[in-house]
Amino acid sequence: MSEGPDLLIERVRSTLREAPGTVPDPRRVAQLLSAVWESPTPSALRRWLDAWRVPSVSGVRATVLAGLALFAGFLTRGVVGERQAPEPFTATGSQTGEFPVQFASATLSETAPVLTQFVLDDTKAQRVSLVGDFNDWAGDSTPLTRLESGVWTVSVPLPPGRHVYAFLVDDTLLVTDPRAPKSGDADYGREGSVVMVFAR
Amino acid sequence: MDGVIPGDSPWRGAQTAGHTPRTSLMTDSRPGTSIDPSLPLRAKAGDRQAFAQLVDLMYPRSLRFALHMVGNREDAEEAVQDTFVRVYHSLGRFRDDARFEPWLFRILANRCRSLMEKRRRHAVVIQYGEVPERGGPPAAETERDWTDEVYRILATLPVEQKEAFLLRHVEDMAYEDIAAVTGVGLSALRMRVKRACDVLRARLSEVIRDE
Repeated sequence: MSEGPDLLIERVRSTLREAPGTVPDPRRVAQLLSAVWESPTPSALRRWLDAWRVPSVSGVRATVLAGLALFAGFLTRGVVGERQAPEPFTATGSQTGEFPVQFASATLSETAPVLTQFVLDDTKAQRVSLVGDFNDWAGDSTPLTRLESGVWTVSVPLPPGRHVYAFLVDDTLLVTDPRAPKSGDADYGREGSVVMVFAR
Repeated sequence: MDGVIPGDSPWRGAQTAGHTPRTSLMTDSRPGTSIDPSLPLRAKAGDRQAFAQLVDLMYPRSLRFALHMVGNREDAEEAVQDTFVRVYHSLGRFRDDARFEPWLFRILANRCRSLMEKRRRHAVVIQYGEVPERGGPPAAETERDWTDEVYRILATLPVEQKEAFLLRHVEDMAYEDIAAVTGVGLSALRMRVKRACDVLRARLSEVIRDE
Protein backbone atom coordinates (compact mmCIF):
# COMPACT_ATOMS: atom_id res chain seq x y z
CA MET A 1 0.00 0.00 0.00
CA SER A 2 1.35 3.41 -0.80
CA GLU A 3 0.14 6.79 0.30
CA GLY A 4 1.56 10.22 -0.21
CA PRO A 5 2.40 12.38 2.73
CA ASP A 6 -0.79 14.45 2.54
CA LEU A 7 -2.95 11.37 2.29
CA LEU A 8 -1.22 10.04 5.34
CA ILE A 9 -2.07 13.12 7.38
CA GLU A 10 -5.58 12.94 6.01
CA ARG A 11 -5.83 9.39 7.26
CA VAL A 12 -4.56 10.45 10.68
CA ARG A 13 -7.18 13.18 10.70
CA SER A 14 -9.94 10.67 9.93
CA THR A 15 -8.69 8.31 12.59
CA LEU A 16 -8.71 10.98 15.25
CA ARG A 17 -12.05 12.45 14.22
CA GLU A 18 -13.73 9.08 14.39
CA ALA A 19 -12.09 7.96 17.61
CA PRO A 20 -14.71 5.80 19.33
CA GLY A 21 -14.22 7.32 22.73
CA THR A 22 -15.35 10.72 21.51
CA VAL A 23 -19.00 9.75 21.16
CA PRO A 24 -20.76 11.76 23.84
CA ASP A 25 -23.13 10.21 26.31
CA PRO A 26 -26.38 12.22 26.55
CA ARG A 27 -26.67 11.45 30.23
CA ARG A 28 -23.22 12.92 30.82
CA VAL A 29 -24.27 16.09 29.02
CA ALA A 30 -27.36 16.32 31.20
CA GLN A 31 -25.18 15.95 34.26
CA LEU A 32 -22.84 18.59 32.94
CA LEU A 33 -25.69 21.06 32.56
CA SER A 34 -26.91 20.31 36.05
CA ALA A 35 -23.40 20.89 37.34
CA VAL A 36 -23.33 24.22 35.51
CA TRP A 37 -26.68 25.34 36.92
CA GLU A 38 -25.73 24.26 40.42
CA SER A 39 -22.20 25.63 40.40
CA PRO A 40 -21.63 28.61 42.66
CA THR A 41 -20.57 31.84 41.04
CA PRO A 42 -16.80 32.07 41.44
CA SER A 43 -15.43 34.79 43.63
CA ALA A 44 -13.94 37.95 42.18
CA LEU A 45 -10.52 36.60 43.15
CA ARG A 46 -11.14 33.37 41.24
CA ARG A 47 -12.28 35.27 38.13
CA TRP A 48 -9.25 37.50 38.37
CA LEU A 49 -6.95 34.51 38.62
CA ASP A 50 -8.66 32.89 35.67
CA ALA A 51 -8.18 36.02 33.63
CA TRP A 52 -4.49 35.95 34.46
CA ARG A 53 -3.81 32.37 33.62
CA VAL A 54 -4.63 32.47 29.92
CA PRO A 55 -3.03 31.86 27.61
CA SER A 56 0.29 31.66 29.40
CA VAL A 57 1.75 32.68 32.70
CA SER A 58 4.77 34.94 32.68
CA GLY A 59 7.40 34.87 35.38
CA VAL A 60 6.02 37.94 37.10
CA ARG A 61 2.50 36.59 36.99
CA ALA A 62 3.70 33.24 38.28
CA THR A 63 5.35 34.96 41.23
CA VAL A 64 2.20 36.88 42.05
CA LEU A 65 0.10 33.75 41.68
CA ALA A 66 2.48 31.82 43.91
CA GLY A 67 2.11 34.49 46.59
CA LEU A 68 -1.64 34.35 46.28
CA ALA A 69 -1.56 30.57 46.42
CA LEU A 70 0.47 30.75 49.63
CA PHE A 71 -2.01 33.14 51.13
CA ALA A 72 -4.87 30.90 50.00
CA GLY A 73 -3.10 28.01 51.66
CA PHE A 74 -3.03 29.89 54.94
CA LEU A 75 -6.71 30.63 54.53
CA THR A 76 -7.70 27.03 53.91
CA ARG A 77 -5.49 25.81 56.76
CA GLY A 78 -7.32 28.10 59.11
CA VAL A 79 -4.33 30.31 59.84
CA VAL A 80 -6.21 33.29 58.49
CA GLY A 81 -9.96 33.46 58.92
CA GLU A 82 -12.32 30.54 59.33
CA ARG A 83 -12.43 27.47 57.16
CA GLN A 84 -15.42 27.42 54.89
CA ALA A 85 -16.81 24.21 53.51
CA PRO A 86 -18.17 24.37 49.98
CA GLU A 87 -21.61 23.21 49.03
CA PRO A 88 -21.76 19.40 48.90
CA PHE A 89 -22.87 17.96 45.61
CA THR A 90 -23.32 14.43 44.44
CA ALA A 91 -25.25 12.65 41.74
CA THR A 92 -27.30 9.51 41.93
CA GLY A 93 -28.91 7.35 39.36
CA SER A 94 -25.67 7.35 37.51
CA GLN A 95 -23.96 6.17 40.67
CA THR A 96 -25.25 2.73 39.95
CA GLY A 97 -24.89 2.98 36.21
CA GLU A 98 -22.21 3.24 33.64
CA PHE A 99 -20.78 6.59 34.63
CA PRO A 100 -20.18 7.18 38.31
CA VAL A 101 -20.54 10.89 38.83
CA GLN A 102 -19.52 12.96 41.77
CA PHE A 103 -19.04 16.55 40.75
CA ALA A 104 -17.69 17.68 44.05
CA SER A 105 -17.90 16.75 47.65
CA ALA A 106 -17.17 18.33 50.97
CA THR A 107 -17.86 17.66 54.59
CA LEU A 108 -20.38 19.79 56.39
CA SER A 109 -21.75 17.47 59.02
CA GLU A 110 -23.32 14.09 59.38
CA THR A 111 -26.79 15.50 58.84
CA ALA A 112 -26.24 18.26 56.32
CA PRO A 113 -28.27 17.78 53.13
CA VAL A 114 -26.37 16.64 50.08
CA LEU A 115 -27.41 17.91 46.67
CA THR A 116 -28.43 14.79 44.78
CA GLN A 117 -29.14 14.54 41.08
CA PHE A 118 -31.83 12.39 39.52
CA VAL A 119 -31.92 11.61 35.83
CA LEU A 120 -34.55 9.92 33.68
CA ASP A 121 -34.16 9.22 29.99
CA ASP A 122 -37.64 9.48 28.47
CA THR A 123 -38.12 11.42 25.25
CA LYS A 124 -41.84 10.72 25.03
CA ALA A 125 -42.78 12.15 28.40
CA GLN A 126 -44.49 15.51 28.54
CA ARG A 127 -43.95 16.01 32.25
CA VAL A 128 -41.89 14.20 34.86
CA SER A 129 -41.84 14.70 38.62
CA LEU A 130 -39.73 13.17 41.34
CA VAL A 131 -41.69 11.60 44.17
CA GLY A 132 -40.34 9.91 47.25
CA ASP A 133 -40.29 9.72 50.98
CA PHE A 134 -38.44 13.02 51.10
CA ASN A 135 -41.35 14.98 49.60
CA ASP A 136 -44.21 12.83 50.90
CA TRP A 137 -44.68 11.43 47.40
CA ALA A 138 -46.22 14.71 46.30
CA GLY A 139 -46.48 14.61 42.54
CA ASP A 140 -46.23 18.33 41.94
CA SER A 141 -43.50 19.38 44.33
CA THR A 142 -40.35 18.33 42.44
CA PRO A 143 -40.67 18.63 38.65
CA LEU A 144 -37.78 17.57 36.45
CA THR A 145 -36.39 19.75 33.67
CA ARG A 146 -36.24 18.39 30.14
CA LEU A 147 -32.99 18.93 28.27
CA GLU A 148 -32.51 19.07 24.51
CA SER A 149 -31.33 15.49 24.43
CA GLY A 150 -34.59 14.23 25.93
CA VAL A 151 -33.10 13.60 29.33
CA TRP A 152 -35.03 14.78 32.37
CA THR A 153 -33.07 15.93 35.39
CA VAL A 154 -33.44 17.56 38.77
CA SER A 155 -31.15 18.07 41.75
CA VAL A 156 -32.56 18.12 45.25
CA PRO A 157 -30.90 18.42 48.67
CA LEU A 158 -31.39 15.22 50.64
CA PRO A 159 -30.30 14.37 54.16
CA PRO A 160 -27.87 11.46 54.44
CA GLY A 161 -29.56 8.10 54.60
CA ARG A 162 -31.69 5.75 52.56
CA HIS A 163 -34.45 7.21 50.43
CA VAL A 164 -37.09 5.50 48.33
CA TYR A 165 -38.27 7.33 45.25
CA ALA A 166 -39.82 7.01 41.80
CA PHE A 167 -40.59 9.17 38.80
CA LEU A 168 -44.14 10.28 38.07
CA VAL A 169 -44.49 10.53 34.30
CA ASP A 170 -47.29 12.65 32.81
CA ASP A 171 -49.02 12.72 36.20
CA THR A 172 -50.24 9.16 35.77
CA LEU A 173 -47.42 6.67 35.36
CA LEU A 174 -45.15 5.82 38.26
CA VAL A 175 -41.83 4.40 37.07
CA THR A 176 -38.75 3.28 38.95
CA ASP A 177 -35.27 4.49 38.13
CA PRO A 178 -33.75 1.94 35.72
CA ARG A 179 -30.28 2.77 36.99
CA ALA A 180 -31.01 2.38 40.69
CA PRO A 181 -31.66 -0.65 42.89
CA LYS A 182 -35.28 -1.48 43.69
CA SER A 183 -36.71 -1.20 47.16
CA GLY A 184 -38.22 -4.19 48.85
CA ASP A 185 -40.90 -2.07 50.48
CA ALA A 186 -43.78 -0.31 48.77
CA ASP A 187 -44.27 3.16 50.19
CA TYR A 188 -46.58 4.20 47.40
CA GLY A 189 -48.41 0.98 46.79
CA ARG A 190 -45.70 -0.34 44.53
CA GLU A 191 -41.98 -0.83 44.41
CA GLY A 192 -39.72 2.20 44.27
CA SER A 193 -36.04 2.86 43.71
CA VAL A 194 -33.46 3.37 46.41
CA VAL A 195 -30.80 6.03 46.70
CA MET A 196 -28.25 6.02 49.48
CA VAL A 197 -27.04 9.49 50.38
CA PHE A 198 -23.83 9.63 52.32
CA ALA A 199 -22.65 12.47 54.48
CA ARG A 200 -19.80 14.38 52.93
CA MET B 1 -11.60 1.27 12.37
CA ASP B 2 -13.08 -1.59 14.27
CA GLY B 3 -14.23 0.48 17.19
CA VAL B 4 -12.41 -1.60 19.77
CA ILE B 5 -10.39 0.19 22.37
CA PRO B 6 -7.09 -1.58 22.84
CA GLY B 7 -6.55 -2.81 26.34
CA ASP B 8 -3.33 -0.95 26.81
CA SER B 9 -4.56 2.17 25.12
CA PRO B 10 -4.50 5.36 27.12
CA TRP B 11 -8.09 5.85 25.97
CA ARG B 12 -9.32 4.12 29.10
CA GLY B 13 -13.03 3.97 29.70
CA ALA B 14 -13.86 5.13 26.23
CA GLN B 15 -17.03 3.96 24.58
CA THR B 16 -16.86 1.73 21.59
CA ALA B 17 -18.12 2.83 18.23
CA GLY B 18 -20.89 0.30 18.55
CA HIS B 19 -22.34 2.30 21.39
CA THR B 20 -24.51 4.88 19.72
CA PRO B 21 -26.49 6.88 22.22
CA ARG B 22 -29.76 8.28 20.96
CA THR B 23 -28.93 11.92 20.83
CA SER B 24 -28.74 14.82 18.50
CA LEU B 25 -25.25 15.44 19.78
CA MET B 26 -23.71 13.02 17.35
CA THR B 27 -24.95 14.89 14.33
CA ASP B 28 -23.15 18.02 15.44
CA SER B 29 -19.75 16.51 16.01
CA ARG B 30 -18.39 17.53 12.63
CA PRO B 31 -15.41 19.80 12.66
CA GLY B 32 -16.21 23.34 11.78
CA THR B 33 -19.80 23.20 12.99
CA SER B 34 -20.81 26.82 12.89
CA ILE B 35 -22.50 28.46 15.82
CA ASP B 36 -25.27 30.94 15.48
CA PRO B 37 -23.58 34.15 16.73
CA SER B 38 -26.73 35.09 18.59
CA LEU B 39 -26.53 31.99 20.80
CA PRO B 40 -23.62 33.15 23.02
CA LEU B 41 -25.23 36.58 23.30
CA ARG B 42 -28.54 35.07 24.37
CA ALA B 43 -26.72 32.89 26.86
CA LYS B 44 -24.87 35.95 28.11
CA ALA B 45 -28.22 37.65 28.63
CA GLY B 46 -29.26 34.79 30.90
CA ASP B 47 -31.06 32.51 28.45
CA ARG B 48 -30.35 29.03 29.83
CA GLN B 49 -31.86 27.35 26.82
CA ALA B 50 -29.33 29.12 24.61
CA PHE B 51 -26.50 27.97 26.83
CA ALA B 52 -27.83 24.41 26.72
CA GLN B 53 -27.79 24.64 22.92
CA LEU B 54 -24.19 25.83 23.01
CA VAL B 55 -23.29 22.83 25.14
CA ASP B 56 -25.23 20.56 22.83
CA LEU B 57 -23.34 21.90 19.81
CA MET B 58 -19.87 22.11 21.27
CA TYR B 59 -19.74 19.17 23.67
CA PRO B 60 -18.77 16.54 21.06
CA ARG B 61 -15.87 18.56 19.69
CA SER B 62 -14.78 19.61 23.14
CA LEU B 63 -14.79 16.03 24.36
CA ARG B 64 -12.86 14.84 21.33
CA PHE B 65 -10.22 17.53 21.69
CA ALA B 66 -9.87 16.92 25.43
CA LEU B 67 -9.72 13.17 24.95
CA HIS B 68 -6.90 13.45 22.44
CA MET B 69 -5.10 15.93 24.64
CA VAL B 70 -5.28 14.20 28.01
CA GLY B 71 -5.54 10.60 26.81
CA ASN B 72 -8.34 9.22 28.95
CA ARG B 73 -12.06 9.77 29.05
CA GLU B 74 -12.41 10.45 32.75
CA ASP B 75 -10.01 13.37 32.67
CA ALA B 76 -11.41 14.57 29.36
CA GLU B 77 -14.95 14.72 30.72
CA GLU B 78 -13.70 16.48 33.82
CA ALA B 79 -11.89 19.05 31.70
CA VAL B 80 -14.94 19.62 29.50
CA GLN B 81 -17.32 19.98 32.43
CA ASP B 82 -14.99 22.36 34.21
CA THR B 83 -14.65 24.34 31.00
CA PHE B 84 -18.38 24.80 30.52
CA VAL B 85 -18.81 25.78 34.16
CA ARG B 86 -16.14 28.43 33.68
CA VAL B 87 -17.63 29.54 30.40
CA TYR B 88 -21.04 29.92 32.00
CA HIS B 89 -19.73 32.09 34.78
CA SER B 90 -17.55 34.11 32.44
CA LEU B 91 -20.20 34.90 29.84
CA GLY B 92 -20.49 38.39 31.30
CA ARG B 93 -16.96 39.09 30.05
CA PHE B 94 -17.58 37.63 26.60
CA ARG B 95 -17.34 40.43 24.05
CA ASP B 96 -20.35 40.79 21.81
CA ASP B 97 -18.17 40.90 18.71
CA ALA B 98 -15.97 37.94 19.71
CA ARG B 99 -16.24 34.44 18.34
CA PHE B 100 -17.37 31.81 20.80
CA GLU B 101 -15.44 28.82 19.53
CA PRO B 102 -11.87 30.10 20.03
CA TRP B 103 -12.87 31.45 23.42
CA LEU B 104 -14.25 28.10 24.50
CA PHE B 105 -11.24 26.20 23.20
CA ARG B 106 -8.85 28.57 24.92
CA ILE B 107 -10.40 27.76 28.27
CA LEU B 108 -10.58 24.07 27.40
CA ALA B 109 -6.95 23.92 26.29
CA ASN B 110 -5.90 25.50 29.55
CA ARG B 111 -7.90 23.00 31.53
CA CYS B 112 -6.34 20.15 29.57
CA ARG B 113 -2.84 21.47 30.13
CA SER B 114 -3.50 21.82 33.84
CA LEU B 115 -4.83 18.28 34.07
CA MET B 116 -1.92 16.90 32.06
CA GLU B 117 0.54 18.63 34.32
CA LYS B 118 -1.21 17.27 37.39
CA ARG B 119 -1.24 13.75 35.95
CA ARG B 120 2.37 14.05 34.85
CA ARG B 121 3.48 14.86 38.38
CA HIS B 122 1.47 11.91 39.64
CA ALA B 123 2.80 9.61 36.93
CA VAL B 124 6.38 10.32 37.89
CA VAL B 125 5.65 8.73 41.23
CA ILE B 126 3.69 5.71 40.12
CA GLN B 127 5.69 4.89 37.00
CA TYR B 128 9.12 5.12 38.51
CA GLY B 129 10.87 1.78 38.35
CA GLU B 130 8.76 0.31 35.57
CA VAL B 131 10.66 -1.53 32.88
CA PRO B 132 10.72 0.64 29.76
CA GLU B 133 9.37 -0.83 26.58
CA ARG B 134 12.14 -1.96 24.25
CA GLY B 135 12.24 -2.07 20.52
CA GLY B 136 10.29 -0.16 17.93
CA PRO B 137 6.55 -0.10 17.52
CA PRO B 138 4.96 -3.37 16.47
CA ALA B 139 4.28 -3.85 12.81
CA ALA B 140 0.78 -2.86 11.79
CA GLU B 141 -1.31 -5.72 10.52
CA THR B 142 -4.77 -4.31 10.88
CA GLU B 143 -6.60 -1.03 11.05
CA ARG B 144 -6.58 -1.36 14.79
CA ASP B 145 -2.80 -1.40 14.78
CA TRP B 146 -2.85 1.75 12.71
CA THR B 147 -5.20 3.43 15.19
CA ASP B 148 -3.10 2.30 18.14
CA GLU B 149 -0.01 3.65 16.47
CA VAL B 150 -1.62 7.02 15.75
CA TYR B 151 -2.62 7.31 19.41
CA ARG B 152 0.81 6.20 20.53
CA ILE B 153 2.61 8.76 18.40
CA LEU B 154 0.17 11.51 19.32
CA ALA B 155 0.84 10.83 22.99
CA THR B 156 4.57 11.28 22.44
CA LEU B 157 4.27 14.66 20.76
CA PRO B 158 5.18 17.74 22.80
CA VAL B 159 1.96 19.16 24.18
CA GLU B 160 2.20 22.40 22.21
CA GLN B 161 2.64 20.47 18.95
CA LYS B 162 -0.17 18.10 19.75
CA GLU B 163 -2.46 20.97 20.65
CA ALA B 164 -1.70 22.88 17.46
CA PHE B 165 -2.05 19.76 15.29
CA LEU B 166 -5.40 18.79 16.82
CA LEU B 167 -6.84 22.27 16.48
CA ARG B 168 -5.66 22.61 12.88
CA HIS B 169 -6.18 19.17 11.42
CA VAL B 170 -8.84 17.57 13.59
CA GLU B 171 -10.93 20.59 14.58
CA ASP B 172 -10.31 22.41 11.30
CA MET B 173 -9.56 25.72 12.94
CA ALA B 174 -8.00 28.58 11.05
CA TYR B 175 -4.53 29.59 12.20
CA GLU B 176 -5.90 32.93 13.32
CA ASP B 177 -8.34 31.16 15.63
CA ILE B 178 -5.63 28.84 16.92
CA ALA B 179 -3.56 31.91 17.71
CA ALA B 180 -6.48 33.21 19.76
CA VAL B 181 -6.70 29.87 21.56
CA THR B 182 -3.02 29.48 22.32
CA GLY B 183 -1.74 33.03 22.40
CA VAL B 184 1.07 32.02 20.04
CA GLY B 185 2.03 33.79 16.82
CA LEU B 186 1.04 32.45 13.41
CA SER B 187 4.51 31.50 12.25
CA ALA B 188 5.24 29.62 15.45
CA LEU B 189 1.94 27.82 15.15
CA ARG B 190 2.64 26.79 11.57
CA MET B 191 6.00 25.46 12.69
CA ARG B 192 4.39 23.45 15.49
CA VAL B 193 1.87 21.91 13.12
CA LYS B 194 4.59 21.17 10.58
CA ARG B 195 6.76 19.46 13.17
CA ALA B 196 3.86 17.37 14.40
CA CYS B 197 3.08 16.36 10.81
CA ASP B 198 6.72 15.53 10.19
CA VAL B 199 6.82 13.19 13.18
CA LEU B 200 3.56 11.53 12.20
CA ARG B 201 4.68 11.09 8.59
CA ALA B 202 8.06 9.68 9.54
CA ARG B 203 6.75 7.14 12.02
CA LEU B 204 3.54 6.20 10.26
CA SER B 205 5.26 5.75 6.91
CA GLU B 206 6.88 2.66 8.38
CA VAL B 207 3.49 1.38 9.45
CA ILE B 208 2.08 1.90 5.97
CA ARG B 209 4.98 0.07 4.37
CA ASP B 210 4.18 -2.93 6.52
CA GLU B 211 0.52 -2.98 5.58
